[in-house]
Amino acid sequence: MKAAEVMSTEPDVLRPNDTLEYAAETIMRSRYRSMPVVDEDGCYMGMFDVNCLLKHVIPKAVFMPQGLRNVSFIHESFEDLFERYSQVKDEPVTICLSHEVHPLNPDTPLTETLLQLYHTHLSIPVVAEGSCKLLGMISYFDVGRKILAVGHLNDD
Amino acid sequence: MIEHSAATPALLDMDPMWLSALLFSLAYIMIVSERLNRAIISMLAAAGMIVSGVLTQQQAVQGVDFNTIGLLTGMMIIVAIARDSGVFQYLAIAAVKRVRAQPWGILVMLMLVTAFLSALLDNVTTVLLIAPITILITDTLKIPAYPFLFAEIFASNIGGTATLIGDPPNIMIGSATNLTYNDFLFNLAPIALLILALTLIPFYLMWGRHMKADPALIEKVMKYRELDAIKDWHLLKQSMAVLALVMLGFMFAHDYGIQPATTAMLGAGVLLMLRCLPHDQQKQTELVTRSMAEVEWITIFFFIGLFIVVYGVETTGLLELLAHQVLEFTEGDKAATAMTIMFVSAIASALVDNIPFVATMIPMIQNMAPAFGGQQELIPIWWSLSLGSCLGGNGSLVGASANLIVAGFAERSKQPISFLKFMLLAFPLMLLSVMISAVYVYLRYF
Repeated sequence: MKAAEVMSTEPDVLRPNDTLEYAAETIMRSRYRSMPVVDEDGCYMGMFDVNCLLKHVIPKAVFMPQGLRNVSFIHESFEDLFERYSQVKDEPVTICLSHEVHPLNPDTPLTETLLQLYHTHLSIPVVAEGSCKLLGMISYFDVGRKILAVGHLNDD
Repeated sequence: MIEHSAATPALLDMDPMWLSALLFSLAYIMIVSERLNRAIISMLAAAGMIVSGVLTQQQAVQGVDFNTIGLLTGMMIIVAIARDSGVFQYLAIAAVKRVRAQPWGILVMLMLVTAFLSALLDNVTTVLLIAPITILITDTLKIPAYPFLFAEIFASNIGGTATLIGDPPNIMIGSATNLTYNDFLFNLAPIALLILALTLIPFYLMWGRHMKADPALIEKVMKYRELDAIKDWHLLKQSMAVLALVMLGFMFAHDYGIQPATTAMLGAGVLLMLRCLPHDQQKQTELVTRSMAEVEWITIFFFIGLFIVVYGVETTGLLELLAHQVLEFTEGDKAATAMTIMFVSAIASALVDNIPFVATMIPMIQNMAPAFGGQQELIPIWWSLSLGSCLGGNGSLVGASANLIVAGFAERSKQPISFLKFMLLAFPLMLLSVMISAVYVYLRYF
């Protein structure tokens, strides 16, 4: 079994010019934790991660390197968080582009694919070898559904 | 001068004096160029001193000032544990709320807290604690962080001047001489306090009188609950008790022949023991590993290598030669020598790392003792070296490690402190503080 056989093809994607507001609404509506960003040619650029939104609504002194370790004294309201969100909502998603998740190629064996999922805790893009074209995404749900389907088949 | 008795023949039959000078200069140039981590440079240069035959390994070990190393390591462990309690954040927030979160009041209070903590902890630790809170508060008030961060740089270097443990130059001077914690406190704290107070005047004229913030935003800062910053009351009590005992040890243990390094290491050991006792073996290992990981090993290894390099130069008689040159320049006048050392230290410390500079100056000054009638006569010169090298750190962004840490925070908060802009203001202010120190030293000791 290989990555290509468990991935979801034609996943929801973000474009580089999409705003953070659009990305926030999309991931909230679909309950995604992350989404791939691709250009007009379908070339994979990186991942947009919900943590980036969190970073922008929490005081920047918290997330900057060597920032505040202890924030228990700060008590804020949703209005405070929304105010910070408003300052960045029109920025393009590219300010949040993450390259921490390494794309898999379609021939990656299933076990290695699972190990990558285990380490990244996020859905993983599958990109054609030797190009940047996004072929699909692999999530826990994609793999989990296929594993559980074996059990259902055996029951039948 | 220590007799040169190297086990390995000196490289290429070079005169050991020039060989050590070459290694020392190469190391210095590399440190200034910042091409390679300074700990690596000092370790390589130290090894070079042994391999080239300037020092034997035994001599090299003798050259390491374990009083400085022990004091630095012990205090780093104590601070690493105490920091987890949240006490330092509590102090900063309480100070800010004490002045009703008014911008000028915040600047003054954060300066005072920074200076106070810098006198007790190392400057880098202090600014690592205060700078993020400063960014948080200035962001909340929607006012520029620059004046606050600038003021904190000054406060950390001025505060560090006040005590033996406040700044690495003082630790080295205290360790190399017979000067105690109380000697530093009684001789340097008064002038440090005066300079701190006088520094507020230009800060007020430049920034303070124009500072304003929206009352609604001030109210947000006033909503911070400083007591919530305390994460572990038990740890707070333990660490404050140990820190207080360590301070008392610095003040009084010297009379019983106990050096500051022993006091600091004992304090670190006791605090680790208190922290670990309630836990099983595995958790103890985890806690000790975490505390030890907080020690700035780069700084410690930099010091170890540096001591060996400077000892190598010292054993060959080069520093004695330089000491004579300085005395010739000042015509053997003690006041002129003290003033020269103060201003040269200040300017040098503004431009290069003050740690290697002071490490070099210490044996050089010790060589001047016979000319002035003994070690006791050198005391005003030690104060001059301390004031020059500690305050000199304010002269530029590269003058002290803490300055660069603060500049890093400014950069990350998208309000960068440019090297030139900082220096244009900081260098004259630094020179002013050194002039005030010169008047103080002259009036008090000559």
